[in-house]
Amino acid sequence: MTVVSSLASHIDYLVAVSLFLTGAWILLTSGNLVKKVIGLNIMETSVFAFIVTTGMVDEGAPPLVAAGLQGPFASPLPHALVLTGIVVAVSVTSLALVLILRIKAELGSVELDEIALAPKADDSAGQSNQRGSADE
Amino acid sequence: MSPTDLFDLVLLALLLTCAIGIARLKDLAACAILFSAYSFFLCLVWAHRGAPDVAMTEAAVGAGITTVLFLTVIARVGRREK
Amino acid sequence: MNKRKFARVFTMALLTALAAPLMYGVLELPPPGQADAPAHSNVSAGYIEHGAELAGSENLVTGVLLNFRALDTFGEVLVIFTAWLAVSAVAGKGSETGHDSTPPSPVVDYVVRLLGPFIAIFALFVIVNGHVLPGGGFQGGVLLGAMLILLSLALGRESVADLVPVRSWIWLRAAGVLAFSLVALLGLPMTGYLFGLPIEPALRHALMIVLELGIGIGGGAVLAGLYFAIAGVESS
Repeated sequence: MTVVSSLASHIDYLVAVSLFLTGAWILLTSGNLVKKVIGLNIMETSVFAFIVTTGMVDEGAPPLVAAGLQGPFASPLPHALVLTGIVVAVSVTSLALVLILRIKAELGSVELDEIALAPKADDSAGQSNQRGSADE
Repeated sequence: MSPTDLFDLVLLALLLTCAIGIARLKDLAACAILFSAYSFFLCLVWAHRGAPDVAMTEAAVGAGITTVLFLTVIARVGRREK
Repeated sequence: MNKRKFARVFTMALLTALAAPLMYGVLELPPPGQADAPAHSNVSAGYIEHGAELAGSENLVTGVLLNFRALDTFGEVLVIFTAWLAVSAVAGKGSETGHDSTPPSPVVDYVVRLLGPFIAIFALFVIVNGHVLPGGGFQGGVLLGAMLILLSLALGRESVADLVPVRSWIWLRAAGVLAFSLVALLGLPMTGYLFGLPIEPALRHALMIVLELGIGIGGGAVLAGLYFAIAGVESS
């Protein structure tokens, strides 16, 4: 059947989409902040895999136009995009992790359930919240 | 199915296994190590697809820098997820 | 059902509803690997044919990153530098003691002391040969950063302080942004464009080496700085 054959030929793209959804699941349903950051990283790397696969050529050579290699070359544009993307991913991850360290230092926990029940840190924020928290 | 296709399919299956394993585990240090393995398999996939620059960068950044950052934070924050 | 179970079921339903149009849309693309797909026929074919002599580098990815799309790479270098600024501002002065208080075993000590210089030489090789071999500025920079992190983890925080003087860290981290700004401003009188690299090979090669060293040293120092800020090692 053509559906099965097109599923088999597009298996690279389908695996990238499945990894994206798995990363989204980890991001949305885990109660621990560090695990959410791991899920975000899985989402980011799955998108990079998808982009590099669009530039792939069967039996293709890496895009080095030196004397020895010839034949169909893989396209160099997706590789440049993904290199920039990897740098942005490591920047986002490091900023998220340092914020998690501050959350742990200020509120004492990185589990979402325990953070919701933690008392507010300073009194000035607590006084303005006490009037609004009567209807919670 | 040629051997290179089989190699490709095995790598993709290992990627999915690592991702599902990270979703199911409760030990955060094990999740960080599985993320490092996931990054290495991704590097192999890209080296197989004619992208050596991207593979080198992903191996160094994903399996090196990001995993070290995760393990440093997990050592401070607590190892089990509740 | 209680709140958490409802959240999980709702998320699963939402992701399944998202999966169907994504997978259907992905199946509409041409199969990966075809050499005559539109992704390979228009701009990429032009880059592969004329990119090597126009950009001055046989590694087309480095040519695209440093010559054709140098503005994007400038943005990338700015992003990682800004990330280090933000991380070091949030992390503070590193008053909590870091975790390298346990002494390493003598095997780790010996192997790291043996391998350190070779990793540094390999990183410099990858940076400088970015135009003929796979590699380039950022790959070598990550290797340098990984070597500094390895030294700090295995040999303690004094080993890095002995290698790199404390006052020079900020200049090393800003090396990427400074190198890119310098070459961008030099391009204006030379070719009339902001990032225009000249056609004559020696000058173009020299400017690309400046860019690659900038990304390499800057990227390595920033990545090491990210680790030092998160691990609480005082470095600046």
